[in-house]
Amino acid sequence: MLRPHPWPRISRGLSILGLDVTSSPSGTGIARRPFTQTPSCPAKPLPARLKINDADLTISYLKGTGPGGQKINKTNSAVQIIHAPSGIVVKCQATRSRSQNEKIARQLLADKVEVQEKGDQSRVALKTEAARKKKASRLKKTRRKYRGLEKEAEEDGSGDLEEEGVEAGVDEREAQEGKLEKGQST
Amino acid sequence: MPRIPTATLVRAYQENSLLPLLLKECRSLDSARNELRWLRERALRDSPSSSRLAPGARLGWRTRLRSMCRQRSQGVPLQYILGDQPFGDLEILCRRGVLIPRPETESYTYEAARLVRQMALEGGGNSTDPTSATRPLRILDLCTGTGCIALLLHALLAPHFKHMQIIGIDLSPIALNLARKNLDHNVRREALHRRARADIQFHRADVLGRKASSIPAVEEILSHYALKSGLADISVPAPRIDLLISNPPYISTSDFRNGTTARSVRLFEPRLALVPPVGFMGQDGDRSEDVFYRRILDLSLKVHAQVTVLECGDIMQADRVVEMHRTMTGGSRCNFNVEVWPTTEQDLAAHGFHPQDGSRCVIIHGGRDG
Repeated sequence: MLRPHPWPRISRGLSILGLDVTSSPSGTGIARRPFTQTPSCPAKPLPARLKINDADLTISYLKGTGPGGQKINKTNSAVQIIHAPSGIVVKCQATRSRSQNEKIARQLLADKVEVQEKGDQSRVALKTEAARKKKASRLKKTRRKYRGLEKEAEEDGSGDLEEEGVEAGVDEREAQEGKLEKGQST
Repeated sequence: MPRIPTATLVRAYQENSLLPLLLKECRSLDSARNELRWLRERALRDSPSSSRLAPGARLGWRTRLRSMCRQRSQGVPLQYILGDQPFGDLEILCRRGVLIPRPETESYTYEAARLVRQMALEGGGNSTDPTSATRPLRILDLCTGTGCIALLLHALLAPHFKHMQIIGIDLSPIALNLARKNLDHNVRREALHRRARADIQFHRADVLGRKASSIPAVEEILSHYALKSGLADISVPAPRIDLLISNPPYISTSDFRNGTTARSVRLFEPRLALVPPVGFMGQDGDRSEDVFYRRILDLSLKVHAQVTVLECGDIMQADRVVEMHRTMTGGSRCNFNVEVWPTTEQDLAAHGFHPQDGSRCVIIHGGRDG
């Protein structure tokens, strides 16, 4: 299935000839073609991020109890954000930086508010759904591979079975599995 | 300091055998967990990766982490162990012998930047206004230490002002070295614009202006600037400054010893940056912890600072500074507007300040003749 991409060899050939591919005046765009075969954007673009009005937010920095200033050197940098309309509270103390924690907390809050508003159609839900499907498909492929290997081992052991018949059998089972998978996902 | 309950210690030990070490300095399980996470991240980052082991595996990071936790349990500040401290979006390098930037100072710096922007927007249009092309925005940061205030102000204000001149002053050569290193470090990280190298200057000077020392006083540095920029005015001995900001040493000798100052601070951070010199004779019966403020207020009047922001230890000290300023200006010669920040409940909560105790700053607006 995976064929080697043609351009690395071409470019090597050109550079051996002393030609600079990247600055070729012909403008064929050979050198600019990406070397990856996976699409750079997902098949279905995610919905735009939810914009949250700053006026709805109460941001507070939690420095723990007790006085601060020169007398004490605190390392606590937690940030807490309250979203007034929904009542969602988010706290973040992932990093030592207050501004970094605020950015993370804002993102967490936006995700939470979106889930509450849109449910299944929110970015987070769509992303987890996509990840779940990907994992299921990967597991299916693994199962198929090992089943094939087992079959081969059996064949080597017995050696008499006709190849075509076995392959057809596997294909049938795959088709059934595919149907099952579809049934689960819908 | 209250004893840590045995139950907490046992729970910490069951979670991770290094947590009880950190608990000695952190005092709460939650912050000990955080510090352990940060230390582990650093230990993993700094250890060399091995090609023989699995990808991502690091050599000797466990030993490194254990020794870092042991240092922390002896009271060494986390920032000296890790070597840096975030300040706004900057990363400030921290070394022994220089005070570690505090989160309160960060709040004051943001507030100062907000005030300068507000002032520029209100005063737009006239020729002395710093947004104009001819005159740069001038900022003076006294007792700069790591240079954190000066650098963060540049990061916050550079998008709004075409020309800026920020002068950081400190007595300690170690601090000045570190401040310059921090400038370089943050320009390389692209947290600061490249022009910061030209806009920010650090100089050695004695803020207290003691006659006996061979170190120049702040005025000498400023007059040098006035000559260089050709703006020397006969009526004004020093160039006008838009923002004068300072976090001077403000702990009294008794507070330094009686337990209000944390052990870690007392043992590992420089006394020079915390306690004003005892031998220095203050005027008019000033307390020994307040000697810096009189000198800085005097300077602020000399340079006609539009905004002055001074960090103080607590509300009482802030009130003393306000009173000092009132007597120095002799009532209402100019229309000054002096306030202690933060005082409103909203500001206090938003910036994580303790409602009664803890650090405050004094903000003085004005200096314009009314």
